[in-house]
Amino acid sequence: MTTEGGVQYSKIAEIKGPLVVVDDVESAAFDELVEIETTEGERRLGKVLEVGNGKAIVQVFEGTTGLSISGTKAKFVGKVMEMPVSKEVLGRVFDGLGRPKDGLPDPIADKFVDINGEPMNPEQREYPKDFIQTGVSVIDGLMTLVRGQKLPIFSGSGMSHNLLAAQIARQASVVGKQDDFAVVFAAIGVQYSEAEYFRRSLEESGALKRSVLFLNTADDPAIERIITPRVALTVAEYLAFDLGMHVLVVMTDMTNYAEALREISAAREEVPGRKGYPGYLYTDLSTIYERAGKLNGRKGSVTQVPILSMPSDDITHPIPDLTGYITEGQIVVGRDLFRQGVYPPINILMSLSRLMKDGIGEGSTRDDHSEVSNQVYDAYSRAQEVRALAGIVGKAGLTEIDLKYMDVGDTFEKEFLTQATDENRTIEETLGLMWKIVSKLPKNEITKIKDKHVEKYYKEE
Amino acid sequence: MDKSHPLTNLALEQTIDKILNQTQKDIESSIDSALNDTNQTLDDAIPKLDKEYDKIIADGKKEADKIEKQIIGGADIEARNKQLMALEASVDKVFTKALDQITNNDRSGDYANLIKSLLDESTRILGTSEVIVTANSKDRDVVQSALSGFPGSELSPDTIECIGGVIIKSKDGAMTFDNTLDARIERLKPLIRKDIAAKFGVNN
Repeated sequence: MTTEGGVQYSKIAEIKGPLVVVDDVESAAFDELVEIETTEGERRLGKVLEVGNGKAIVQVFEGTTGLSISGTKAKFVGKVMEMPVSKEVLGRVFDGLGRPKDGLPDPIADKFVDINGEPMNPEQREYPKDFIQTGVSVIDGLMTLVRGQKLPIFSGSGMSHNLLAAQIARQASVVGKQDDFAVVFAAIGVQYSEAEYFRRSLEESGALKRSVLFLNTADDPAIERIITPRVALTVAEYLAFDLGMHVLVVMTDMTNYAEALREISAAREEVPGRKGYPGYLYTDLSTIYERAGKLNGRKGSVTQVPILSMPSDDITHPIPDLTGYITEGQIVVGRDLFRQGVYPPINILMSLSRLMKDGIGEGSTRDDHSEVSNQVYDAYSRAQEVRALAGIVGKAGLTEIDLKYMDVGDTFEKEFLTQATDENRTIEETLGLMWKIVSKLPKNEITKIKDKHVEKYYKEE
Repeated sequence: MDKSHPLTNLALEQTIDKILNQTQKDIESSIDSALNDTNQTLDDAIPKLDKEYDKIIADGKKEADKIEKQIIGGADIEARNKQLMALEASVDKVFTKALDQITNNDRSGDYANLIKSLLDESTRILGTSEVIVTANSKDRDVVQSALSGFPGSELSPDTIECIGGVIIKSKDGAMTFDNTLDARIERLKPLIRKDIAAKFGVNN
């Protein structure tokens, strides 16, 4: 943290959207923090986006509404935006810029960390391979989350992704180890009621004690959303790599983040890319997603579950599309299942955890996990085909084995996929349910599981 | 009255006895079979019952763990919040006392050197000594004498409300640098709070 003060400039050349152009600036640095003082003495924060030719373009986080060219002053603070971090941040609620929102004083900082983080040296990265139990069967069983992974949830507007996000935040744990576990939850541009739900949900379950909440609500200036994931990740990195904790970062909704980025890009008159998003959307998203991982020789880990709502449920939209390039798999929330009242309505056939294979099996979950998971995928896929066929020829036209697969599909959705929002299933329970589904098939249909596992776990009904 | 043949009566009795015996045997066999069935059903039910029992116990344990977490988590947070508020109140007290001491400090001796170093720092940051300096009424004399070392600078006739230090403005009014003690304390407050908290034994 720098202790030297900054110079205040009073020549404002232009105010455009969320940007303020300051004239006659002699020394300013890229990303430097700026305090904007209005004519009424109100202070707002911003940061330098561009500097040169005696001008500095400042992005004002709290918006430029009410600012005027005359009377507005810009103080260049002489440092980048920093987040005060210490173990004391656990159990606290902050706004989108990292200021306390729970009526308590600022945390006494152990240190002040640049919110832009330091890129992880690829050489120092350790391959993620340890299981995180979310207590949600479909995730633990079929798209297992691994410590250090970035696994996004692709959802659509109005669907139950926020319930799922809160459930994961409440229930997630490292099984069988005494390692410290923490959750950093960043709500980006969510409704007030949703923000309150997240806070209450963590408070009432007792999980707030090991969590840090950053709440940027929909009525907060859109520009603050650029900062929220970064302050959240800064805290997560501190907890992980300084204090050795395993940290799960849940960020919802990244679509609101990308839209804030588009707003700034438009104000800067940059050439728009697909759907008006800036051409550097991929690069920008990667600066957030790549802050997940484990480091050699360090105890902790940062695992990310970013949640994004796909406009018009379009998975080819630039936000899910580019996110998919960076992250290690995806969990897709399905509209059809949601309409049927299934919770969590996860479409497993479109979902995948690329690191699952390294985080499951003997020593992590159970030695039959991989095989039973493949068999369940296969059976559900076949059930979907049979359902489509039944739609054409009717149930009477189906063979006996087809009917068994239909039964498997129904059991999968009703007993395995469907789960109460406060139901925390252990991995053993999840695997038990998977075997219950597999056991609905005759033995000769079980082609993906070794005989020794079939003998041990198969229970014909 | 016609009397039946004694042999006829005997045969009837024998038949009745036979039927009774047979019926008794059938009933006994049925009872035995029912008993066996019942025992079998009970035997079959025991593992199921054990499973149900285990499930109920496991569910109960899960629920108890959940409630325990809720209660302990809530209590921990409440206790921690009270501790934070108490600490903050103590830190504030220290701040108030320190500010009082600085405000009432003697303006002679080292204070003149402090003003000079504040002016040095400010003109260096603004990049010019062509500046207008503003101070509080108490410091005007000290500042005025220090300004002799800064050619082109002048003391503003206006005064400011602060505990000490100076505000420096370039003569064209475009740049201002606030180097009052208040601004410096505000800037360093997070670090000072940490030091004070450490004195109270709060170790991060």
